[in-house]
Amino acid sequence: MIRPSVLAGGLVVALSVSLGMAVALGSTSVALGDVYHVLAYRLGWTSLGAPEGTVERIVWDLRLPRVLAAMLVGGGLSIIGVAMQTLVRNPLAEPYLLGISSGASAGASLFYLGFFPALVARTLSMPIAAFLGGLLAISIVYLVARDRSGLSVARLLLAGVAMSALMASITSFITLASPEPDKLRAILFWLLGSLSGMRWEMLIAPTLVTTFGLVVLIGLARPLDAMLVGEEPAQSLGVRVEWAKRALIGLAALVTGTLVAISGAIGFVGLIVPHAVRLLVGVPHRRLVPLSFLAGALFLVWADLVARSALPTELPVGVVTALCGVPFFLILLRQSAYRFG
Amino acid sequence: MASCGPAATEEPTVTDDLERQVSFSPPATRIFPLAPNVTEQIVAAGGADQLVAVSTADTYPPWVDELPRIGTLPLDFEALVAEEPDLVVANAEINPERDAETLDALGIPTLFLTYTTVADVPRTIRLLGTWLGTEAEADATADTLTAQFDAFRAAADTVKHRPRVLFLIGDETLYAYGAGSYVHELIAMAGGESITATLPAAAPVLSEEFVLTQRPDVIVGSFGEGYTTADLLAKHPTWDIVPAVRDGRVYSIDGALISRPGPRLLRGVQALRAAIHGDTLDVPLYLPHLP
Repeated sequence: MIRPSVLAGGLVVALSVSLGMAVALGSTSVALGDVYHVLAYRLGWTSLGAPEGTVERIVWDLRLPRVLAAMLVGGGLSIIGVAMQTLVRNPLAEPYLLGISSGASAGASLFYLGFFPALVARTLSMPIAAFLGGLLAISIVYLVARDRSGLSVARLLLAGVAMSALMASITSFITLASPEPDKLRAILFWLLGSLSGMRWEMLIAPTLVTTFGLVVLIGLARPLDAMLVGEEPAQSLGVRVEWAKRALIGLAALVTGTLVAISGAIGFVGLIVPHAVRLLVGVPHRRLVPLSFLAGALFLVWADLVARSALPTELPVGVVTALCGVPFFLILLRQSAYRFG
Repeated sequence: MASCGPAATEEPTVTDDLERQVSFSPPATRIFPLAPNVTEQIVAAGGADQLVAVSTADTYPPWVDELPRIGTLPLDFEALVAEEPDLVVANAEINPERDAETLDALGIPTLFLTYTTVADVPRTIRLLGTWLGTEAEADATADTLTAQFDAFRAAADTVKHRPRVLFLIGDETLYAYGAGSYVHELIAMAGGESITATLPAAAPVLSEEFVLTQRPDVIVGSFGEGYTTADLLAKHPTWDIVPAVRDGRVYSIDGALISRPGPRLLRGVQALRAAIHGDTLDVPLYLPHLP
């Protein structure tokens, strides 16, 4: 165990350094001095003149929104991982494995391809469609896994995997049936995720919703701690368990849906990050939630950096997170006696 | 190599562009092209009457609508066998070799053509002539085409300034042609310089950064009719400082004239020349057998 304040400080420093590196690296090489000139100029920290237009657009309009999106998505998926693990009282739960991400993908692609009418603006309708898809998927998985004696983890994971496969098939089917000119790329995006082509205006909804999720989960830290011990002890401590469960499912679908709408389904972030953080600072949610957010942000910034620089052509970022996450998942699965703490 | 095989079954074999040895004795009388450009090449080689069907992607010449259609990606083997072709011709850039192995097992010879240079167009027309038994016609067509391409090349040699040209296949995902494509040669023939000629992948997806730093003078793509610079700028707002966008030099042309290597590449070069230099050359565009 290390002191949470030390870990928090370390993560903030690492995140700042990583942000600096991630905006400096890309498919074209830009001199480091020019990168920081742009950042300083835009933030009003320099008296030097305006930077060169090309460099300014690359750094400020293309790379920075992408790195910030990686942080939001990584942090958001990680705290939802924490929430799901507490909900089912097992460290193997995660938005991707439980089918929320692929449900959200199916909802978003249904909307994207014009199967849902645009209720309001497109930037709002797509997260709503993704939210509904994710909510449907997690509700079915949860109901299948639960019976009178409680929640079967084996049933939960199997139902999650089956739901993911179903939702991925729906996404593929509607994409192939649509007039979308670039079908295979669209399928890759929705099933494996990508942070390519991010723009500032796409960050608004995810920022608001993820911040909301973070605040709610930190606010619920005590009830969540109690729920980890067990439903009955939690009930006796005055936690309205049934209400809390519904709130967690709704919140998970909301945050995951909003994030999937901009990034596609990126798996295993919510599995690796909370686990690593728990090993370092233990299970109490008042520490686990904010630290998982920071660590998840850090993880996805690096995963995205690998995705866009490992090969001459860009990889879907979900490939990188799955390559890290699946071996990790299998090891966790093997440790049958695994318990929180 | 064929002569080294067992002498007992001396079947005639043909070597295709992928160096595959295929049992086939010309001339073919019932031919099926697996890709739209192969259809155009067969027609140019004088083999129009031997076509038994075309792929679902075929659009040219217009009379292909009268022929049966067979899906090729994925290949509808049953429909193909039902047409009883005695030769299937594939484009190595589009069709998977796995399909050819299945066709070989069905006893249908499949030959691949490759298109990496503009010279491959007249070369494979001659080759098709030998497979179809229309050598004289195919050779005459190939000679004509070669002369017309040479006329564009000669005209390009006299331009004073070669603008930097970006050819895009789509405006949303930025697919382009990379190293080893004949498209750069078409752009050079039209008096321009392609900025994606040295990219390692065959079909690279460009980043917006790449376009910003490479600063093309002209952007040409198959973006559909009535497409304007403003449409491209709306998709890529950071490109306002790219010279092609700043100067309103974004042009949309019929993608088939570039992406389907065949006689109509001549029209593609002409369209590129009009986009890059604003003039049309006085090269007579004689496309044998094609409207």
